[in-house]
Amino acid sequence: MDPQHVISSGIIELYTAGIASEKEIKELEAAMAQFPEVAAEVAAYQRAMEAYVQMQSLTPDPQAKSFVFSNLNNQTIMQENTLTPDPSAPIVSIERPKGARWKWIASVAAVLLLFSLVLNYVFFNRYKIFKEYKDKYESLLLSQNSILSKSNLYKARLEQMQESMNVIQDPKVLKVTMPGTKAFPTALATVFWNRESQQVYLKVNNLPEPAADKQYQLWAIVDGKPVDMGVFEMGDTVNLLQKMKITGKAQMFAVTLEKKGGAASPTMEQMYVAGKIPG
Amino acid sequence: MESTATYSEAELVRGLTARDEKVFSHIYDLYSPALFGVIVKTLNDTGAANDVLQEVFLKIWRNADSYDPSKGRLFTWMLNIARNAAIDVLRSKSFKQEQKTSYNTDELYAIKGIITEQPGNEHLGFSKVLEKLTKEQRTLIDLAYYKGCTQEEIARIMDIPLGTVKTRMRNAINQLRTIINTSNI
Repeated sequence: MDPQHVISSGIIELYTAGIASEKEIKELEAAMAQFPEVAAEVAAYQRAMEAYVQMQSLTPDPQAKSFVFSNLNNQTIMQENTLTPDPSAPIVSIERPKGARWKWIASVAAVLLLFSLVLNYVFFNRYKIFKEYKDKYESLLLSQNSILSKSNLYKARLEQMQESMNVIQDPKVLKVTMPGTKAFPTALATVFWNRESQQVYLKVNNLPEPAADKQYQLWAIVDGKPVDMGVFEMGDTVNLLQKMKITGKAQMFAVTLEKKGGAASPTMEQMYVAGKIPG
Repeated sequence: MESTATYSEAELVRGLTARDEKVFSHIYDLYSPALFGVIVKTLNDTGAANDVLQEVFLKIWRNADSYDPSKGRLFTWMLNIARNAAIDVLRSKSFKQEQKTSYNTDELYAIKGIITEQPGNEHLGFSKVLEKLTKEQRTLIDLAYYKGCTQEEIARIMDIPLGTVKTRMRNAINQLRTIINTSNI
């Protein structure tokens, strides 16, 4: 530490004003102890401050002095009592209540401690049982949730099946089987066509899973011209009847593989299945 | 100025530590106006200040042994006891409640108000010092020294940044020291 640096740092001014931080006070007091020039500088500032204080002196109430001096001795006696025991005082009479009081406090503390230990044991056991039940409850809750979600799944599937059944069982619905073309002999799909509502449904019986950028598209051949009946999904939905577009007239249905989203006209080389309407 | 014809500082200290009531009476006469001035300035309540002054002198009497001459003058030590006692009272709950009428809004702002409206003391040389300190410098010194405000509190009261408090405080204290030195008070 450099004493000149301490003096020019401005800490002494803040210290004199009484707003130096505890860290700054410690550092400055260490520097004062080490360097007489720092101590002298601090003293010079303090003298200026004290001169400022003394200029603002006021005369206190004259009774204050007599109060102080009449209580000097009282305070002195009190102070001596707390520091050193009065030798003239009977030792036993002081010791006994003190000892009894401590014994009393100690026994109360012991009883409280014992009581607390018993409570700890009881509550800890209760807590263990509670925790066991909590774990069981949580696992039950979990399995209930999984059952519930499975049940919802089944319900949804049942509803879809019911819908499919309704379509198929409807006497107004015409079933058009579309066998595979020469290029794809194993392919098979079926169209269900409600001639009254003109709604067309499609059931995929066997079509290979297309590439990600491709999609199958259903066509109705109306008076020799292909009419778009919409693209359809593969994957899990092949188990269901898929609702397609409506048409009032058709002599034939066919499925081609097109780019994703469908094409304006069918790619004949990619025709997988085709079926004529009976009769 | 605190030394007198009858006692040197060393004699005062010796008398105090020996619990010599005659010497203590002299110490009281010599220093009580300055200490009372500090306490009044801190509390702005003469009645309460008289009570604190009595406590302070009893404390000085009782704790005389803790005074260490190597750490500063007797007056510096007594002044610190008086300041600390007064600031403790100022910040105590019961005192604030008694002063509720003047502390009804933000108490720190109230403190500022008290300082600025305090009448000038006509003590010899004091007006000379005052006219060379700016009003802001006086407020800074008074908030820090008499009201025991921290840097943060001063920044809030005066509505200036913390760094500015430090800079302006240094300037104020340096200015005070220059004035006192040149006026030879």
